[in-house]
Amino acid sequence: MTAQRTDERDNERRRAEHEPLLRIENVWKSFGTEQVFRGIDLEVDRGDVEVLVGPSGSGKSTLLRCVNRLTEIDEGAIYLDGERVTDADANVNELRQQVGMVFQDINLFAHLTARENVTLGLRRVRGFGKSEARDRADRELANVGLSDQVDSYPAQLSGGQKQRVGIARALAMDPKLMLFDEPTSALDPELSNSVLEVMERLVEAGMTMLVVTHEMRFARSAADSITFLEGGQVVERGPPERLFERPERERTREFLESIYG
Amino acid sequence: MIAASSTALPLETVEPIAAVAAEDWLFVLDNYEYLLAGAVITVALTATSIVLGLLLGFPAGAIELYGGRFSSGVVRKAGVAIRGTPILVIMVFTFFVFPLEWLYVLPASEPFQAAVLALGVRSAAYQSQIFRGALRSIDPGQLEAAQSIGMSKREAIGYVLVPQALRRSVPGFQNEFTIVLKDTSIAFAIGLGELLRHSHDLMTQQTTAALELFVFASLIYFLLTISTNRTLDYVNDRYAIPGEG
Amino acid sequence: MASSTDARRLTLPEIRIGRVLAVLAAVAFWGWLLTRWINDWVLARIGIGPGAGVHFLEAEPFETTAERLAASADAYGPFAGVVDWVGSVVGAVGVAVDIAPVLAVGAWYTIVLTVVSIVLGLLIAVPLSLVRVYGGPFRWLALGYIELIRGTPLLAQLFVLYFGLPFAVWLHGVETIGQGPIPDQAFIIAVVGFTINSSAYQAEYIRGALESVDRGQLTAARSVGLSQLEGLRFVVMPQTLRYAIPAWTNELVYLIKYSSLAAFITVPELYYRASRIASRTFEHTAIYASIAIVYLAIVLTATVLMSRVEREVAIPGLGQAEGRHQGKTEGERE
Repeated sequence: MTAQRTDERDNERRRAEHEPLLRIENVWKSFGTEQVFRGIDLEVDRGDVEVLVGPSGSGKSTLLRCVNRLTEIDEGAIYLDGERVTDADANVNELRQQVGMVFQDINLFAHLTARENVTLGLRRVRGFGKSEARDRADRELANVGLSDQVDSYPAQLSGGQKQRVGIARALAMDPKLMLFDEPTSALDPELSNSVLEVMERLVEAGMTMLVVTHEMRFARSAADSITFLEGGQVVERGPPERLFERPERERTREFLESIYG
Repeated sequence: MIAASSTALPLETVEPIAAVAAEDWLFVLDNYEYLLAGAVITVALTATSIVLGLLLGFPAGAIELYGGRFSSGVVRKAGVAIRGTPILVIMVFTFFVFPLEWLYVLPASEPFQAAVLALGVRSAAYQSQIFRGALRSIDPGQLEAAQSIGMSKREAIGYVLVPQALRRSVPGFQNEFTIVLKDTSIAFAIGLGELLRHSHDLMTQQTTAALELFVFASLIYFLLTISTNRTLDYVNDRYAIPGEG
Repeated sequence: MASSTDARRLTLPEIRIGRVLAVLAAVAFWGWLLTRWINDWVLARIGIGPGAGVHFLEAEPFETTAERLAASADAYGPFAGVVDWVGSVVGAVGVAVDIAPVLAVGAWYTIVLTVVSIVLGLLIAVPLSLVRVYGGPFRWLALGYIELIRGTPLLAQLFVLYFGLPFAVWLHGVETIGQGPIPDQAFIIAVVGFTINSSAYQAEYIRGALESVDRGQLTAARSVGLSQLEGLRFVVMPQTLRYAIPAWTNELVYLIKYSSLAAFITVPELYYRASRIASRTFEHTAIYASIAIVYLAIVLTATVLMSRVEREVAIPGLGQAEGRHQGKTEGERE
């Protein structure tokens, strides 16, 4: 009895130590005749920031959507915290609660104020009470610098403010992992900065993040590792300094030069 | 409390449904010419009313938008009054109240002309809105551009705005067309022998065939609305301006 | 030539006068209608007031004035035509006063018929439109229902229900129908018919509105862990219904007007009662003008109320969808 329990605890510790937070294993996916992934493998450790880069159509966004099952994979498996989340009987809603997502087109709930955007999930999914949810939402909005906009509707906010509400909305669910799908590409450069600052603060706080972005400055300073995706496969992966200075593959160098200037 | 009645149907009236239906469908088939004659009146009534609506409605829309204070005010108020009154009331009005001989110029029966007047004027009140909306949806820059190449405002409206607005009116017009088609059935009220009236007449001859008759009439109406819609879809595509909608 | 915007802009005093007149007319109309209802169904029962159906005003003075004007018109020489016309207007007012109590009862039926049908129609339309958009294989079923109903005339639908189906026989057997507060069978059939008809149109507006809600909204809802149904319920539907309000207003106006068709299946609503009197007295002009005014008053009131609702629930940045007739058609909504 006691031995068994020690065993379990050991397993748990071992899993916590060796199992990466996110493990993507030999994932295949096609849309009709178009093959998007041909066996993708990727591991992201707790507290790490992984940046996905690649030409348009290389499936970066699709990969994010597969992680929280907005898109289903054809073959392979995805594990979150050691649990196989791509099983048919895995609880999708619970998974999505543990994985926050920030969209390129932001997708704030258009009929709700900034605060209500954050409280909706808290109340309906996490079962918070009214005032509890409100306090939490106000705290999250304060963290992204929007204390003075809690009662604004999305149409009354700038793009950068909207995206920060989007981040607050995701963080309020206490996710283990945050997915960022080109969070700044719909924004003007000067509006992007406020969003990037919020993301940098998240990095400092130790959040595990999987980020699709063209902001190479952010990738360089914040990423623990960069994955270059093309043709449905991982072409190269490594820490930013090495990938930027001494890429192993010619194709990687060409691509990084083409977007970095 | 709702209690089931003790006066249930006597058993002998409960015949096998299939047998009853077959007999009644035969009755419908026997009289199909009479029903089709009604459908022809329905189509003629629709077409005439739509044309009248076009002739009155499009100028009314333009006046409402570009007319002087008095004329646009009058047109607008008349439109509100007509759109706020049931077509049934408008129709009995034209039938009972305005048997004005000078208005009845068509070589057709009096109920037919009264129905055309009612449906046409009512449709004009809506078509004016469709056209006005389409005119307003056109970028004011178009007017300025036309004036900048030396057109008068009147010419600019006529050569630049109106053609574009007509084109944009087609979807709304399609909607209006089917509404007029369906509302021709209301001419039933003034005894015009259109499709529904003919079905009703036949029903008084054989009351058991009521369901068959009205379902048959409905099917004809359905075919008419469907084919109208398909035709106007075609018109819409045919005259589509590349790059728009 | 005055520019279009100038021509349509009224000066301040004119707007004020117009608004004051409109408010006065509304107060007079609804004051009369409500007093009439309360008098007939509440006060008369407990023995207060003039009694059910008894006139508030006498028609006789109008009639005698009209007769006198008509008789003496010739004496006014060149103004004979004008005097004659004034006489007939006074006469028409007399007729309107005469039939006013009957109109008030008819208006009650018209309003109840409309309100009950549109609400029941909405209850069917919401799931129907969801099936139409998100229903997978069942969407064809929803599409068939919607197109079939929208492709056939309302009057034909009422006839199918009233004459064609043994509805009347079933309802006839139920003893409580038509007793006390339970409406009679024709009324119930009319409600069923209008509900079915309206559900199809409303479903179509809601579908349009549903599709104008960005798909990303549902994706975002699911990404915070809401289920598909919760996403529809808490995120998509609240936006959809706001988009649908203008179309819904048109639907309400449509039903008010087309409730008059219930007269053909003997529902004693406004038109039915008026036409019965008209066929007896031949006062067509006065009678049909009177009910036209009553319909118009109800329609304009509905429009004003709905635009108030629209303003109440308005949210910055959320747009609108079109209704059964195109454009902002009813009332003064610019």
